[in-house]
Amino acid sequence: MASGLDRRNFLKLLGASAAAPVVSCASKPVETIIPYVVQPEEITPGVATYYATVCQECPAGCGVVVRTREGRAVKVEGNPSHPINHGALCARGQASLQGLYNPDRIRQPLYRNEAGELTPLAWPEAEAMLAERLQKIRAEGQADQITFLAGQLPDSVYRLATQWLEALGSRRLMTYEPFGFEALRQANQVCFQQASMPAYDLAKAGFLLSLGADFLETWRSPMHYARAFSQMRGAMSSGTFVQVESRMSLTGANADEWIAIKPGREAFFALGLAHLILPNSAVPAEEKARLSQLLEPYSPERVAPVADAPVETITRLARAFVSHGPSLAIGGGITASSRQETASLIAVNLLNYIAGNIGQTVHFHAPQARPQVSSYAALLSLIDEMQRGDIPLLLLANTNPAFSLPPSAGFAEALARVPFVVSFSSFPDETTEQADLVLPDHTPLESWGDSQPEAGVYGLMQPVVQPVFETQALSETLVSVATQVDAALAESLPWKSFFEYVQASWRERHGERREPDDFDTFWRQALQQGGAWQAPEPLPVQLSSAVFETRFSEPTFDRTDEDALTFIAYPSSRYYDGRGANKPWLQELPDPLTQAVWDSWLEIHPETAERLGVAEGDLLTITSPQGSIEASAYFYAGLRRDAVAMPIGLGHSAYGRYAQGRGTNPVHLLSAQPETASGGFPWLSTTVRLARTGKRAPLVTTDGSRQQLGRGIAQAVTASTASSFISTDARADNDAHHPTDHAEHPARDMYPEVEYAEYRWGMSIDLSACIGCGACVTACYAENNIPLVGEDMVAQGREMSWLRIERYFEESQDGADAPEVRFAPMLCQHCGNAPCEPVCPVYATYHNPEGLNAQIYNRCVGTRYCANNCSYKVRRFNWSEADWPEPLNLQLNPDVTIREPGVMEKCTFCVQRIQAGKDRAKDEDRPVRDGEVTPACAQTCPTQALTFGNLQDPASRVSQRSRDPRGYKVFESLNTKPAITYLKKVRRRPPRR
Amino acid sequence: MRFPPGSLSVFRITLLVVALLAGLSAVRYRPDVSGRVWQAGKAAWWDYQLLDLGLTGWGEAPKQPIAFSHALHAGDYGLDCLYCHSAARVSPVAHVPPVQTCMGCHARPTPNAEIKKIQTYWKNQEPIPWIRVHALPAFTRFNHKRHIRAGVACQSCHGEVQRMQRVEQVSSLKMGWCVTCHDAHQASKDCLVCHY
Repeated sequence: MASGLDRRNFLKLLGASAAAPVVSCASKPVETIIPYVVQPEEITPGVATYYATVCQECPAGCGVVVRTREGRAVKVEGNPSHPINHGALCARGQASLQGLYNPDRIRQPLYRNEAGELTPLAWPEAEAMLAERLQKIRAEGQADQITFLAGQLPDSVYRLATQWLEALGSRRLMTYEPFGFEALRQANQVCFQQASMPAYDLAKAGFLLSLGADFLETWRSPMHYARAFSQMRGAMSSGTFVQVESRMSLTGANADEWIAIKPGREAFFALGLAHLILPNSAVPAEEKARLSQLLEPYSPERVAPVADAPVETITRLARAFVSHGPSLAIGGGITASSRQETASLIAVNLLNYIAGNIGQTVHFHAPQARPQVSSYAALLSLIDEMQRGDIPLLLLANTNPAFSLPPSAGFAEALARVPFVVSFSSFPDETTEQADLVLPDHTPLESWGDSQPEAGVYGLMQPVVQPVFETQALSETLVSVATQVDAALAESLPWKSFFEYVQASWRERHGERREPDDFDTFWRQALQQGGAWQAPEPLPVQLSSAVFETRFSEPTFDRTDEDALTFIAYPSSRYYDGRGANKPWLQELPDPLTQAVWDSWLEIHPETAERLGVAEGDLLTITSPQGSIEASAYFYAGLRRDAVAMPIGLGHSAYGRYAQGRGTNPVHLLSAQPETASGGFPWLSTTVRLARTGKRAPLVTTDGSRQQLGRGIAQAVTASTASSFISTDARADNDAHHPTDHAEHPARDMYPEVEYAEYRWGMSIDLSACIGCGACVTACYAENNIPLVGEDMVAQGREMSWLRIERYFEESQDGADAPEVRFAPMLCQHCGNAPCEPVCPVYATYHNPEGLNAQIYNRCVGTRYCANNCSYKVRRFNWSEADWPEPLNLQLNPDVTIREPGVMEKCTFCVQRIQAGKDRAKDEDRPVRDGEVTPACAQTCPTQALTFGNLQDPASRVSQRSRDPRGYKVFESLNTKPAITYLKKVRRRPPRR
Repeated sequence: MRFPPGSLSVFRITLLVVALLAGLSAVRYRPDVSGRVWQAGKAAWWDYQLLDLGLTGWGEAPKQPIAFSHALHAGDYGLDCLYCHSAARVSPVAHVPPVQTCMGCHARPTPNAEIKKIQTYWKNQEPIPWIRVHALPAFTRFNHKRHIRAGVACQSCHGEVQRMQRVEQVSSLKMGWCVTCHDAHQASKDCLVCHY
């Protein structure tokens, strides 16, 4: 210490120099509290308010309940009282919140200036611009050519737009959906004179045969069918489900048997079955003779080589189809929409008809008031007119043809030839980028409206929040513009607001239904419940003779060369037709089968890849007669060797920061020529050639491995074993047969057994019910403010999901070519003997008296010992600061802390909901009731695979299910004593003989 | 073993320095207008240090946009706290009343300059930007309803507000202070009661 500064004084000095800035900064930043000026009656600060409305993310029309806090929407959940989804909601529906608060929304009207750029404009000027244009067109006598092209709009908006157009003198309102199911309607028209879509009663079917319909993902009404499917094929029910398709979809992965037929030959497979069933069918004799004549050429021996399915399979399925009680055949998925799709679906209808399913599991109803979707062919003729310059004004709403149509359809060029294009889109999508005037509509969560998605179901939409931006409801814009065009026009649209218009149509409905209550009560109830419903009257149908004219032939494909691979573009359960791509929750949700995030890929069978010399992760050039794109190769055994597959939905060139420039759009490879019979878009119509680019682009996935490697995470039993559990009366004496007794050894406990008092929270997960859809994962993200990290971080294994779906491919047991897929939701097991707890040096994670494995963020110093010691890989470390660009931050759940970088986080069993439930119970001086507390994941599950509750209560549902003989704990031998009991998947195979 | 005099404070200061250096690159939370939505900003360790030094507002009585006197309203007039802060009874949040509540009594013309301010806010339909006195860190959940229903007087935490011309924070609001009271009343001391 030559300088005379000893250690103590050095430290003092250091302390003083550090203290100085502390003192000078000590006056803390001023925070203000901004109260309401007038507090809305229904809002209590700190208490959530719920509004029922209708999801508009796809045409299924699920009912939703939106939780709002202080005027912000924080969570979208399924409406438990809605007849379509019964409380469940898929990931897409939940992500509608990220549509509402999307940072890339169009925030005010835009017009194209002289320089050709879209420039902001005030509403009055924007409306005047459209009104002026309309006046000009009317003066030129072209009003009848004004065209409105829209996606599926809420019915009331559609009606108003129709009236508005008619008042202007035009009848050209066209509804177009990329997944329009044209062939399904056309086939029903041919067979039963009903150009509508029937209701399918999956729950009632003992044997379900799906020919390419992905009813658990995008086909018609996935939430509705998922629930019915779980009822039909649950562990204790006896239904069997067989999926026939060329690429194993998520739906196919859940099938008891998956049969890979040659792409587009569904018709022949169905005809083969019908051929065999007909002799024993109960159809009238005369009809039988004609049918027999029609089906005569389609004996199993003849169809088997066409469909490339064994004769044995066809005969076996034909027998099974008629011997399991009511059966049901469905078809019409996107992956089966070849140029002969209508014929395929006629074959499916015939199969149902011959088996006597019409009126049993297939119900037709009186045609709905709901507007029918126009066909793709109709859109093509509109494109022709646009090209010729016949369309003076094109209005676009809720549709994005510039993305969803193949370039050879010529939409973009035709759009450039329309003198004035108006888009009502709230998002900067590819079509809106080309518009001359953008009048942004509200998102569905800000809008009034109603819809009739199924017969007898009238959904009512109401705004759940004030508009986030300066947008204006489409309907209000139309009426307002009409008043500016001329007074006579305004008189034909006499409503003060769109709310009044919707209410008026409900007044009519109230009159029609002869409700016992007065209108105000009826209206209030409809608002509360999210609509009104009644059982629809079934409509008896007869087989039309037109069906006998049908000619069945193999579909044609655009070919590059003879041994080219069939190209299957399949709909994504996350992006639907691409509209979901701008929602980061959906981008970060792993694809159910590949577990890939933020990108597209090309699926190829490993043997095909070997033949072509392709390695996994190779960047390939995929060339069809229409064009070529690039994508990374992903090996997938659930695919025919003569085909490759690619998901639809990515490859946007616009549509905001989350969508733009990600992945590739397979539509670029497809031909624009429609299916002749229905005018539908043939998604399955081309073959491709693959070439290596020499570059590597391995796909970013979240799975560690595709196999379980003997770890027994997702276990299964055969149906016979499962029933023997029951027959040996194991249900009465569960403990004796409970396998966990053999694995958990109190002798191996280092710490004394934890004694629980009133509550021990736990969960049971039925793997027989879980379909791997991932709705629970998104629910968890939404409820718990889980940060989104993006592709690069996921590539480093830094995804933040508290709950993930483990997906494993199993070697098929019985020699079948198809892999068996198993799903297991994996979340914190809330171990009774948790490995993470004793290793925390700061006591940030500990066992709470109610059995929760708690993580206290403010104690955590980020050593990550707990994550290293966790056997289940369910703890996540915050490597970076969460980023919620405004206004995305408004969706954050105020009841959950946002974690800072450097701390661990994990599943809490939604402790905020447990606390809220206990709070409610305490108010009423009672214990928490069974079912009163439901974590977000269990709430949204369409198949009710997850059950949550109190394990201390032996009568609770979770206790009962945890005692199921199928129950097991993951990694039981580690003696971690999880609070989560998995119930083994019941494997059921159609009888071989 | 005996510590030499002053060594403990030196030890404390050293800890503080280390913590501060570590904290410079860390983050802190910033509440937005609704009071319970927290956004990541810059610096949490910093907050912890301020908390430790008792500088969260303890002993401060900020000047409010309107010289509202709790001593007059709650003291002299004897208004119940829950008359204005009514949400405390039913919600985790004891909200600050909307301007409408003030106008319930103060709508009539008056020479009082402070009341005129309220009327101006009302006329402009603007909220009053009150300065926050009591703030908890973002990782802490406090449920007013539970405490009110358990019969805890508002004054136990907020002090004798009915005697304050200008409201100041009289309790530290630090965790030790919470736990002492929970301990005394056999209330739960499970971390998850407040931290999630």
